[in-house]
Amino acid sequence: MRVILFSWEFPPRIVGQLADYVRELALQLAKNNVETYVVTYHDYLTGEFEELPNIKTFRVTNPVKTHISILTWVLTLNQEVERVAANINYRTNSQIDLIDVQDWHFIPAAVTLKKALNIPFIYSVESLEEHRSHGANSPFNMAIKSIEWLGTYEAEKIIVKSEWMRDETVRIYKVPANKIKVISPKSATWIKNVLETYRILWRVKHKSVS
Amino acid sequence: MSHELTVIMLTWEFPPRIIGGISPHVYYLSKSLAKNDVKVYVITCDFPGAPQHETVNGVEVFRIDSYKNPSPDFASWVYLMNMNMQKEAAAIVNSLNKKVDIFHAHDWLVANASIGLKHVFRRPLIATIHSTEIGRRNGIHSDYERMIHETEAWLTYEAWKVICCSNYMVSHVRWAFGLPEDKLVMIPNGVNFQDYAKNENTDLNQFRRNFALPEEKIVLFVGRLVYEKGIHLLINAVPKVLEKVNAKFVIVGDGYMKGQLSNLVKGMGLAHKVLFTGFVDEKTLRNLQKCADVSVVPSLFEPFGIVALEAMAAKSPVVVSDTGGLSEIIEHDVTGVKVHPNDTDSLVWGITKVLLDVNYANLIKNNAYQKIQEKYNWDKISQQLKSVYKFVLNGYSKSFWA
Repeated sequence: MRVILFSWEFPPRIVGQLADYVRELALQLAKNNVETYVVTYHDYLTGEFEELPNIKTFRVTNPVKTHISILTWVLTLNQEVERVAANINYRTNSQIDLIDVQDWHFIPAAVTLKKALNIPFIYSVESLEEHRSHGANSPFNMAIKSIEWLGTYEAEKIIVKSEWMRDETVRIYKVPANKIKVISPKSATWIKNVLETYRILWRVKHKSVS
Repeated sequence: MSHELTVIMLTWEFPPRIIGGISPHVYYLSKSLAKNDVKVYVITCDFPGAPQHETVNGVEVFRIDSYKNPSPDFASWVYLMNMNMQKEAAAIVNSLNKKVDIFHAHDWLVANASIGLKHVFRRPLIATIHSTEIGRRNGIHSDYERMIHETEAWLTYEAWKVICCSNYMVSHVRWAFGLPEDKLVMIPNGVNFQDYAKNENTDLNQFRRNFALPEEKIVLFVGRLVYEKGIHLLINAVPKVLEKVNAKFVIVGDGYMKGQLSNLVKGMGLAHKVLFTGFVDEKTLRNLQKCADVSVVPSLFEPFGIVALEAMAAKSPVVVSDTGGLSEIIEHDVTGVKVHPNDTDSLVWGITKVLLDVNYANLIKNNAYQKIQEKYNWDKISQQLKSVYKFVLNGYSKSFWA
């Protein structure tokens, strides 16, 4: 199985809790014989680095340096994420089985890659705009929510880390509950459950090809 | 029917959605390309009442769901709209079995979508730069403007070729983004002179009387009433022109200077000699241009100057200021009169020369009409563009993406 992880933070760039989670996820996937790629952002470390065993990490920077909000910043960064992910896919003869996109930032890229190159994706929810912005509904918050909604709508599966988050995702975005997998990173069966979810997508993709 | 090549045009406006000059440009260009055996798909924003998918003059048009929630600002809307445009365009290209040769983007308004499509489908990207933020704003004064400027730079960076509509814009774009000279191509804008030639069942003598007395010559200005269009120069020229010839000044268009200008005219006691019409419909505009004894374009800044071409197509003699794209369109004493920019006396001289010398006026308007048929004809322009497409595809075929 070949998987690309999208995350806007990855060591050495640490913003919140996501960086360490994605690092651990990548290491465990590699240990379980998954060919693992990470596409992430870094301001000046760009291109490919192989700091972690068996993981290929690609860092992109923003082609537009001046921004007025994180929203505009994210929306011009996505094309670079697409470029790198498409390159990985072409290089592996379209053998990428799925993309696991962490939080909202790179959902636009994941959706385009799905539509263009038939790569399915999982949307892994760390947090939602509703909670980050304490229910604020300005045009800025609504734009981020619309991207999160797009992620829930276009993803094959959604992974959340708690039952509370599952209920919130169902409540806010009207997602059918059976589309969501609750997988706690603290559980002993964490990586096993993640791999099971990946295999669902793997079967979908390979059935549709044959 | 098989075509020589297939192009996806990305534009934020296409008729019936008309905001500025890109909409008619892409409309005529696509139509003429289709006649020259190029399969064109236009992907554009939706518009109330316009179908999501239709074929217009051999061009397949897809209207995407543009972002409709309230947006924090215009640029954020553009990026959000691009997210949707890219998503829908990706699905369209996939449904065409990826049988697309080139993506062609018009201005930064579709930069994100076209750059993303280039990379996911690995096809060459061509960009037409109609206007720049640094030119529109006369410099970059805020982070907001700089962000747009850098988005424009990004588009020109990712494009295989950058097309501009005048030599003036070629050098401006080259300067603004630091591009290598061989990346830039000049292909002029066109004018649909057939629209002016067709009989619209109007008695022009009768029509003329709505705007001027039979003994008055018509001096026509068409444009936004803003500083850079130099309309204040024309207003200042009114009394001096009237000393030599009886004329009516017809001012078509609107803008922030309108109130100020009409007060100026009233102060001169010449309100009966200057008519502000505001916006008029296309047919009225064409008829006015046909009736004009002289069409004046006194701009201080003008990337191209399409209004001069329209006057030429309407067989109205033109007086333009010698600046920007206008300098290239008009050859002095041959296809029109060039006057010094920002110089009222020079403008008065040009206008009176055309109005008082009928033979001279006839000569320049006939030459001008010939010129637009030769150079500013959409059929020829689309052939020039097609040869750029072929040149790019030839280079692409030798790249590892092919």
